[in-house]
Amino acid sequence: MDFNLSFTANANPEELYDLIIIGGGPAGLTAGLYAARYKLKTLMIEKMAISGGQLTSTEWVENYPGFPEPVLGQKLAKDMETQAKMFGLEVINEEVTKVELTGNIKQVHTPYAVWKAKTILISTGSSPRKLNVPGEDNYKGNGVSYCATCDGPFYPDKTIAVIGGGNTAFEESVFLAKYAAKVTIIHRSDSYKADQILQERVKANPKIELLPFYQVTHIDFDNPEGRQIILKNTQDDTEKIMKVDGIFVFIGNDPNTKLFEGQLELEGGYLVTDRSHKTSVDGVWAAGDVQAKALRQVATAVGDGACAAHWINKYVEEWSE
Amino acid sequence: MLDDKIKQEVSKILANMVKPVTLKLFTQGNECGYCKETHELLNELAAINDKLKLEAFDFETHEAEAKKYGVEELPTIVVMDEKDHGIRFTGIPAGYEFSSLLSAFLMVSTGVAKLTNDTKAFLDNLQKPVHLKVFVTPTCPYCPPAVMLAHAMAFHSDKVTAEMIELSEFPHLAVKYGVQGVPRTVINEKWFQEGAAPEDILVAKIKEAL
Repeated sequence: MDFNLSFTANANPEELYDLIIIGGGPAGLTAGLYAARYKLKTLMIEKMAISGGQLTSTEWVENYPGFPEPVLGQKLAKDMETQAKMFGLEVINEEVTKVELTGNIKQVHTPYAVWKAKTILISTGSSPRKLNVPGEDNYKGNGVSYCATCDGPFYPDKTIAVIGGGNTAFEESVFLAKYAAKVTIIHRSDSYKADQILQERVKANPKIELLPFYQVTHIDFDNPEGRQIILKNTQDDTEKIMKVDGIFVFIGNDPNTKLFEGQLELEGGYLVTDRSHKTSVDGVWAAGDVQAKALRQVATAVGDGACAAHWINKYVEEWSE
Repeated sequence: MLDDKIKQEVSKILANMVKPVTLKLFTQGNECGYCKETHELLNELAAINDKLKLEAFDFETHEAEAKKYGVEELPTIVVMDEKDHGIRFTGIPAGYEFSSLLSAFLMVSTGVAKLTNDTKAFLDNLQKPVHLKVFVTPTCPYCPPAVMLAHAMAFHSDKVTAEMIELSEFPHLAVKYGVQGVPRTVINEKWFQEGAAPEDILVAKIKEAL
């Protein structure tokens, strides 16, 4: 039995921090580690009770170097946090409601206080994208899920549809197949973005089936004959009805940048940064999934965070009121 | 139950306790799912800091006590001081919920509930009772904030009671309340809020429910 502890610092809102990090996933935690080692007075604000971001909602991480045996996402997150805190990173668990980024001193509002800093690092990551089909909102948390580790245990010997064709869809299908009797991966084409090794693992699992060339048009869980989803063939538009107990959606992510709209330059919702990871406003950096970039992985987020911390340190050294 | 590393961490966290906290634990022999483990866990915690006072009750032989605290499922933990604030944990607070348990200890011990002034004002003016059931699984990283918020409301207001329910131990409750995703906060048995909602959203939902 596991016992996870995550406790917050006694941070002081009167303090002028060198750096405030918004979002405590791998990018933020790495930046926090580096910044704390540069001796920057650093506060990380994470809205969940536990650091790690999306790392905590995946079971195993297999492509982060240094772990020949797969490492649990939540363990990796916890260890990253412990390491950064060891060097003095302060972490509080509050939700940021407003930011004021212009000016020499930046302000970050949470429901409980206003925090001040010389620099800001945005590492708010991204959130699972919705299908946007009828029935989805009504059954969110009651048959429609975006987190396999959270909700997988509700489907013992049940039938599950997984939507998506990328790494997350394939990885989480293997996890779900531990509980469910049958998992069908539905994807709009037969070309899958998931890593080859994951595709092989899925094909070798007798409980998982692939259903290419279909997309979900309606989540019909109100049907008196039982829960079903309506699928449309992407090649010939024919319809197909599928009986399922639950549906897990892994069709990519949307950046968490709503707070910054109108204040920072965005590209397709993602934050635009230069080679030093700086955003369009002086004193504000971005790292990890929230940045406009090509590959979003733990390994790339960690690199972004370290790099941003380097440039932030240089900026703080020259900062003056 | 707890390894030495976790015990050290717990010891550091509990060093912030001010007043003693009473844990009333209701179990029934070793029959229920995690009665034995929960009892062991609380024994270990009480051994770490003597401000934690554990009182264990057998559900059958202490019927009156169980009734007094409204215990229906086992194990149940009541976290209280000289007064019952309506804070309950039903099922073992393991996994991510271990943080919720320690938070409840600290909140009751220090008397500080983390709520905005708006929420406090709303709670102070409550006319009707509010009962919050927060359904969780131990592997859900999004669940502790929902539990902590509900417990904070219960601590602040005599009108509010709040219960964490670890669903994998009570599948019949998942069926009864139609829960297939966590966290879910059920308000007065009928209304519910999906996910770890910010304070103002939960307050709005409670207003609707009343």
